[in-house]
Amino acid sequence: MKKLKMINKKDITKLLDELAKNYRLLAPVEKDGIVNFTEVQNGQDITLDFYNSKEPLKKLFFPQSETLYCYSKEQGRTVPEEQDKRRKIVFGLRPCDAKAAVLLDNVFDGADFKDPYYLEKRENTIICSLACNEPQTSCFCTSLGLGPGDKDGSDIFIVDIGDKYLFEAVTQKGQKLLDEMTGTYEPEDKDIKKAQTLITESENKIKKQIETACLSEKLDELADSPIWDELAEKCIGCGICTYLCPTCHCFAIVDEASDCKGCRVRNWDSCMFGNFTLEASGHNPRPTGKERMRQRIMHKFNYFVKNFDANACVGCGRCFRNCPVHNDLIKVIEKINNAKSEPKK
Amino acid sequence: MSDIQQQIQEHAKKLLSDKTVDLFIGYKDINEPMLTEPAFIRDAKDADQLIWNPFCEHNLAKYLVGRNEKIAIVAKTNDVRSIVVLINEQQVIRENLTIIGVNCDDVIDRKKVEAEMDGKDITSAQIKDDKLIVKAEKISKTLKIKNYLHDSCLDNKRDMSEICDIIIGEKSSCKTEEDKYAKIRELEQKTPEERWEYFKKELSKCIRCYACRNACPLCYCKSCFVDQKFPNWVGQTTDLSDTMCFHIMRALHTAGRCVDCGACVRACPNGIDLRMLTGKIEKDVKELFGAEAGLNPETDNPMTSYKEDDPEDFIK
Amino acid sequence: MKNPYLPMSVTISKINFENKAKDLKTFDFTFDNPDDAKDFQFICGQFAMISIDGIGEAPFGIASSPMEKKIIQFTIKRYPQGLLTTSLHNLSVGDKVGLRGPLGNGYPMKKIQGQNILIVGGGFALTTLRSVAQYVLHKDNRSNYGRLTMLAAAREPGEMLYRDDMTEFEKALNTEIIQTIDRPAEDWTHKVGFAAPVLKEVAPSPKDTYALICGPPIMIKTCTDVLLELDFDTDKILNSLEMKMACGIGKCGRCNVGNKYVCKDGPVFSYKELLELTKGCGL
Repeated sequence: MKKLKMINKKDITKLLDELAKNYRLLAPVEKDGIVNFTEVQNGQDITLDFYNSKEPLKKLFFPQSETLYCYSKEQGRTVPEEQDKRRKIVFGLRPCDAKAAVLLDNVFDGADFKDPYYLEKRENTIICSLACNEPQTSCFCTSLGLGPGDKDGSDIFIVDIGDKYLFEAVTQKGQKLLDEMTGTYEPEDKDIKKAQTLITESENKIKKQIETACLSEKLDELADSPIWDELAEKCIGCGICTYLCPTCHCFAIVDEASDCKGCRVRNWDSCMFGNFTLEASGHNPRPTGKERMRQRIMHKFNYFVKNFDANACVGCGRCFRNCPVHNDLIKVIEKINNAKSEPKK
Repeated sequence: MSDIQQQIQEHAKKLLSDKTVDLFIGYKDINEPMLTEPAFIRDAKDADQLIWNPFCEHNLAKYLVGRNEKIAIVAKTNDVRSIVVLINEQQVIRENLTIIGVNCDDVIDRKKVEAEMDGKDITSAQIKDDKLIVKAEKISKTLKIKNYLHDSCLDNKRDMSEICDIIIGEKSSCKTEEDKYAKIRELEQKTPEERWEYFKKELSKCIRCYACRNACPLCYCKSCFVDQKFPNWVGQTTDLSDTMCFHIMRALHTAGRCVDCGACVRACPNGIDLRMLTGKIEKDVKELFGAEAGLNPETDNPMTSYKEDDPEDFIK
Repeated sequence: MKNPYLPMSVTISKINFENKAKDLKTFDFTFDNPDDAKDFQFICGQFAMISIDGIGEAPFGIASSPMEKKIIQFTIKRYPQGLLTTSLHNLSVGDKVGLRGPLGNGYPMKKIQGQNILIVGGGFALTTLRSVAQYVLHKDNRSNYGRLTMLAAAREPGEMLYRDDMTEFEKALNTEIIQTIDRPAEDWTHKVGFAAPVLKEVAPSPKDTYALICGPPIMIKTCTDVLLELDFDTDKILNSLEMKMACGIGKCGRCNVGNKYVCKDGPVFSYKELLELTKGCGL
């Protein structure tokens, strides 16, 4: 049982084809210029030449629309079951997304309530992450305690060292899968060194930084700061930043029914939407974009820190890259760190 | 370009200093290749933050509804048309607005530029006269700006000088003779099944983020139909029929109002071809009622007014 | 793994109108499954999600006392814009709905043992506070608690809830019930005045006393100001908060005040806790 294995790049398609026989294989697939993790039957359909997927991996464990249960007069309430019970492999995930799943576990695998829908999928999935040799200009994962070579959240960690891939088993789950893989051989010291060098070079390429050392404490002093009005003014209040964020987890529960039968479904929701906290009485505790923007930033960099000792951000940059008005979280944090203290009166 | 920028800054300084306006909405730089952001300037001394370049892509009319202040707004041709519709629909008070129309308002389509760069991250983009010099790792390209403009700019050329309070810049010489509705006519020729497949394919990319709706200056309803539960017009799951329903209904709500500014397409993270839907409705309105939105604030929307000679051949 | 999103089935066994406007009803529920009834152990101040399949779900404070084993009671106001409350009000005895709970932290009844209790309830927010009063005044519990003072405020006599219950409460030992309405009305023999000035008049000593307040935001604010003036301990002034909820179990991210969720860490928070929680968010 060896922790480290190599495979030649030309053999990777064959390996993936084999894995796809016994597992449900999710890998990056390009369609119309956009890369997303999609279920594949053939290794050749995938691309490993990409920065990051458009949508985050949370979709796998926490689908955008998920049926909680169905009901009908005859059968009462039934919880739907996964038809294809084979284990899943996610291949080619970036370290930031793997870490994001670990952060989301704090929410869905809570001490008091466990979310069976999320946990069943999580337990049934083996994560094979791919180190980033080439970070994007918008990446800032190194400011958040991760990096292009971070293994937290991965079962197997893969590094592309040119014409070969280096696989490392990080967990027991990963080791078991690694032992099953064919076409692999043992690495030499120079391969391992090369992997380390590539990762260090990649870390050095990350230019963007945020300062989080005193960020949570600073945010406690900014309740009435005009900074929130300024930040919220250009925001159009759509859901892009929250939907594409790997650590955002807000959802709404709705009933979809007709003629005495239907389903209760949960859908992604966004704290940035105007009606997120709107009550039946008409009262809305977060009536304008300012309160909502403040809530979002506070949640990520203050509340999550207080509850779980971690920032709810992995520095993937998706929010910035996809925001229609190019709201840059890095600049937001910088403004916050430099803002004048204006605590609640 | 930089002359237009200077003029914008000077107007801002003056309008704010002599208190003609309380707020000046324009664009500012964010130090990222090809990106600008909406700027809200309230102090004359901040006027030098305002910029002008072909990356000023947002339709700033979005920010007018619901404000009581006196506002000056930098508006490209299509943006002015949006403002005209807002005036006609009484969502903005004309007397409170100073419309600064900017001619030479061709906006670069960043997606078209990105497509030239082999999927690599762009690290710099410099404009030099009529060229754009784009760099990514190990790639450098010099592109002719007029080949990389937004389709909504290519398709819509109007003179809105009469509506504007201030005009800046010479009219653009980048006119195109292409039929604005060419792509729509192509789709019209296809069978209903082929057309349905096309829309299914495009709209299956939708993630229901509502950026298209929120970026549109004309989607200003306090309570959007898609958020209503009483009655539940459209389901909120990602079920494709619900998603298609949302887009088709929203497009219909823009009938006689949409000016084809392209804000919806630019906001969409997945680049869905929304203009095919809104464009088709726009074409129908033009053909049925001879009306185009946003040209004259006095002209009512054919969807909300009645004329004796309105076409009736669809009433059987 | 227990599925916290799946409701239990309950049947409506009784419906009572609580006010003249007839938009406030008290529903009695019985569990369809005796195991559910056994497992449903709750404390005062907790809530449950009432669920109608095909319509939706919403949180409601439990109005009955934990000493009442046969039924669970909720007093629910119908809001015209409320999908669930409107549908619930259209139901009849014998109809079935879903119930998820008990949820929330409830009032710290164990911690309050040996102390006096001041209850201040406005409008129909009296619902979980009535649960506290019933619990404290139950013969098995009475000796565990000191003096009970209850101030119930309503706009007008027709809107005063639980009048029969309060008549019963008055008979108990070491218990004072004060009812007040906003403006004078015919046949009204109790106090007249807004909750805060009446509270100032009737408030007991803050020594060894917990104050439980629930009501509309303005009432909570003015009454809390009175209590602070009277030197009540900030960690003995307890509020029960309300926010729009979806999951009720601290996962959907909607109902937080500061870093705590009203559904899971609340709805009961002390005034001292609230000051800390709202430090950064100005709420």
